[in-house]
Amino acid sequence: MSRFFISIIIGLVIGAILGLFLGWVQFPVEFVNSPASSLTTRYKDEYTVMIANGYRGDSDVQGAIERLRILGIENVPVYVQETAERYITNSRVVEDIVALVALSNALGRLTPIMEPYLEIVAPEGQ
Amino acid sequence: MSDYENYSGKTSEARLRQRSRYTRPRTYISWSWLIVGVALGIVGGVFFAWNVAPVEEFDTVPRQLRMEDRANYVVAVMLDYNITNDLDTALQRLIDLNLPGDDPIQQVAEIACDLVSTGYASSSSGLRAVRVMMSFYQNLERSGCADELLPANSTPLPQVVQITVPTPTLAPPASKTPTPIGPDLPTATASSFQIPTSTNSRQFEYFVQSTFCDVELTALIEVRVFDFDGTPLPGQPIRVRWNSGESLFFTGLKPERGAEYADFQMEQGREYLIEMPGLSDPSPTPLSAEPCNTETGQQALRSYRIVFRPN
Repeated sequence: MSRFFISIIIGLVIGAILGLFLGWVQFPVEFVNSPASSLTTRYKDEYTVMIANGYRGDSDVQGAIERLRILGIENVPVYVQETAERYITNSRVVEDIVALVALSNALGRLTPIMEPYLEIVAPEGQ
Repeated sequence: MSDYENYSGKTSEARLRQRSRYTRPRTYISWSWLIVGVALGIVGGVFFAWNVAPVEEFDTVPRQLRMEDRANYVVAVMLDYNITNDLDTALQRLIDLNLPGDDPIQQVAEIACDLVSTGYASSSSGLRAVRVMMSFYQNLERSGCADELLPANSTPLPQVVQITVPTPTLAPPASKTPTPIGPDLPTATASSFQIPTSTNSRQFEYFVQSTFCDVELTALIEVRVFDFDGTPLPGQPIRVRWNSGESLFFTGLKPERGAEYADFQMEQGREYLIEMPGLSDPSPTPLSAEPCNTETGQQALRSYRIVFRPN
């Protein structure tokens, strides 16, 4: 009887470790119907740049704020400022930085690091 | 020879093999039960990992978004495309969204249709976004119901109006010389709106058809737009302005009330001017939701029925 218990317990432990590895690492749950607030940082950034580009097109600050709110951000101006500064620090694409800086400026969040990008005029069609 | 062999007296080779099952040293592990345990453990572990304590959701990609947020994402893609004109990137982003159907461009048309139907285009910002979407899919030879609800030739995209609020100036101190009060003193006038208007072709005229007092339809501006011959006109822009804001909406978004119908909910104590931007003059007198009594004696706020007709 003790052989049975020892075997089944060791088996369960090994199996549970394997099962957790499979369930958490190898094949984790893939969520659907997720809110935009759970987007990974890469896509939040991409979305923010798209909205900033939209702002360049229509100068509609309120519309940009409303669209960014779906990311679950409480303070949109601070978020845009931080994103713009991160893009500048990481030397991302200049057109993206220009768009973010323009939106941040419109939201009253122009910091010294952003100022050079305010003067850049993006080429036509960029 | 062991006692067992002595007892059985069997010495054949086959007998020896059979006997060895009982004579070999026993291990503490039963491999068969171990395998059963591993199988049960895997099942239990996966169940726990997927159902009881799934990984925290933090790295969602766009295709996992709920439909509402995917629509918002599509709007962002379109606004971006409107500036960058980078069709490849826009299409790749639409494909990454894994929208239902095989044609992501047609899906943009479907989403634009949904947005118009749900009142998203009732704000100038939303209207502009829908127009950008329409421009995108129309250029790629697709169509959707937004084309009918928002005819392309109705009005140009309204520009954002930056309203600069004048700084209030303090009244000068009263002079020591008393001023006689007479009939020539200027009287206080109602607050007026300084409305920058676009080119005003004044194609439509404004009529107040009636006011009414109804508990269920309280403080409502009901607007109807007709053509010369009384044909209902859907998709016509109506703008309501008040001293701290404005709202742009369109006829035909409540088809159950008629293709020519649109309405706006007023707030008590606020004055509103209504117009068809670029197509009519603003209403000459402000509308306001004043308290009134219904026929049954209930308290409500006054509502208006407005009609715009070509002049």
